[in-house]
Amino acid sequence: MNAKDVKEIATRANRIAVRSDAAISTQKLRKQFDDLVAVSDLDLKIANGTLYGMIGPNGSGKTTTIKMLVGLLRPTGGSAFILGEKVPIKANLSKIGYMPQDLAIYTDLTIHENLELFSRAYSMSGEEFEKRESELLKMVDLEARRDSLVGQLSGGMRHRVSLACALIHDPQIVFLDEPTVGVDPELRVGFWNYFKKLKAAGKTIIMTTHYMDEASRCDVVGMMRLGELIAEGAPNQLMGSASAGNLEDAFLKFARSVSA
Amino acid sequence: MNLRRTLAISQKALRALKHDRRTLGFLVLMPLFMITIFGYTFGGNIKNVSVYIVNLDQGSPNGSVSQAIIDDLTSRDVLDAKAIYGPEDVGTNPIGIAMDKVKKADIWAAIIFDTNFSKDVMDALDNLRLGIPAMPVSIAVHLDASNPNIAQAVLTEVQKSLQTALVRDYHLLPPAVVQEHRIYGEGARFIDFFAPGVMGLAAMMVTFMISIISFVHERTTHTLDRLLTTPVTEGEIVGGYALAFGLVAFMQSSVILVGAILLFQIQIEGSALLALSIIFLLGVGSQGLGFLLSSNARNEFQAVQFLPLILFPSILLAGVFWPLEAVPALLRPVSYFIPLTYAVDGCRSVMIRGWGIDQVWPQMAVLAVFAGIMLLLSAYSLKKRR
Repeated sequence: MNAKDVKEIATRANRIAVRSDAAISTQKLRKQFDDLVAVSDLDLKIANGTLYGMIGPNGSGKTTTIKMLVGLLRPTGGSAFILGEKVPIKANLSKIGYMPQDLAIYTDLTIHENLELFSRAYSMSGEEFEKRESELLKMVDLEARRDSLVGQLSGGMRHRVSLACALIHDPQIVFLDEPTVGVDPELRVGFWNYFKKLKAAGKTIIMTTHYMDEASRCDVVGMMRLGELIAEGAPNQLMGSASAGNLEDAFLKFARSVSA
Repeated sequence: MNLRRTLAISQKALRALKHDRRTLGFLVLMPLFMITIFGYTFGGNIKNVSVYIVNLDQGSPNGSVSQAIIDDLTSRDVLDAKAIYGPEDVGTNPIGIAMDKVKKADIWAAIIFDTNFSKDVMDALDNLRLGIPAMPVSIAVHLDASNPNIAQAVLTEVQKSLQTALVRDYHLLPPAVVQEHRIYGEGARFIDFFAPGVMGLAAMMVTFMISIISFVHERTTHTLDRLLTTPVTEGEIVGGYALAFGLVAFMQSSVILVGAILLFQIQIEGSALLALSIIFLLGVGSQGLGFLLSSNARNEFQAVQFLPLILFPSILLAGVFWPLEAVPALLRPVSYFIPLTYAVDGCRSVMIRGWGIDQVWPQMAVLAVFAGIMLLLSAYSLKKRR
């Protein structure tokens, strides 16, 4: 096989990926830090419009997977595609939104300035931004604090600001790394209503969570352990096949069967 | 590179500074503080050095040469004669008293004229007229030379008064004199030489510092990562910050310039705007250097450790206080690697020599190349990291 053939095959493979309706797909995606395999040969396929929940203990590879998908970490093996484009993507970056676990918002700026910075990063027009800003501030219940410095807000409020920043440009795919930690129950309901609204508008959401009640509200749940996907499916389906009453028990059963 | 996104980053950096009142105050007041302190300490001349004068000279029929010298010495304020002993005091051992004072460090010097000083000078003058070689007559100065600057000032003063007395009162004109013609720097004082140096030093120090700390903060809070998941590119982040901090350097130098004009009436022969532009380039480069080094610092504490490493060579070797000619040959190549050297030289040429861009472009080109390399390396280091 000469170089030209290789190139042709690669192009064809790319086209197939583009044609598929997967928002996200990975093939044998792998990340190794020295001796530690954080993500091991992960095969994911997440269809457009899915609300996908990733659960698993700390260190199971959830965050590493997301970081590879948004282009912050270079995979050490395999490949990943977002909307048919191979990661790391550059052209499609404005189609994804990302809320990191450690929030990563500017504490020395006001809420408004944070949102405006991200809107400009996505080249939004001023008019478009104003509309989105008031909508999102309402959703996260921070309209009254618009001009407060983020550094002066409580932890829960910062979470809400970070979420608003991830959604400012109305992205096609949203990666949320533990979006509801430290958010009070009432507001959490508000978040979930908004997630449902996003889903209804055809957006794809990938979130990690430690709350099983949240995971059970996802369309598809992926269970990760030691860098591997040990089970994947609709919450009811997972509980059924593990004959468990809840997702937590289901996870423990799957984990046991893998190590056995 | 997208200009609007770059400007969004600049705006963000400036907004963050705007919210931090104390840092903002530091940025404006620190350079003022610097020029005031440096200006007053380095700009002043040595004054009121305590000395004893012991004049045992009996004089001559043509008057007392020593008295003429002493009159001249005391007419200026460099030396402060705490006591002057005349020939009538010879019984109290004035030389012993004066030497004792020097040894106790109560005074810096004892200036002693011998009993036959005037007579010997007159004899020497006569011999000179007759063409007979003569031994020079001496004034003894016993010095506490533990401070070389003061010792030098005392000797220069005595020399000067001797010269003056001989020329004025005894018409002993030297056969040849040096005639100076100042092509540049007519009326320039030390502070004029100094102000451009402080401008460069302050701009470099502050932009480097706020840059390295800002980026360490961006890295530790992962905002830098998050920006990179948006369409903002590495180059836009680096460029945006460079523009913002370059402006900070520009603004700071303006404060120094205005401060130096108001406080010390410094002269600016050339265009102030051109001098500030040179500082802007230096600011952009220092910002880039701060960015590059920030990737080697895990926290703000480690970042600050880079400060003396950058600062001391710049203060000592870049010609801020001492000319490059005073830098030992072994270290001279280091001087040529420090961007501050070119900024200070360029600013001085503009402010004292009155040069225009047609003459300082080489310095500006060096600074621009330095800034360009720093920014490219910064952007590259960000790309490579992922």
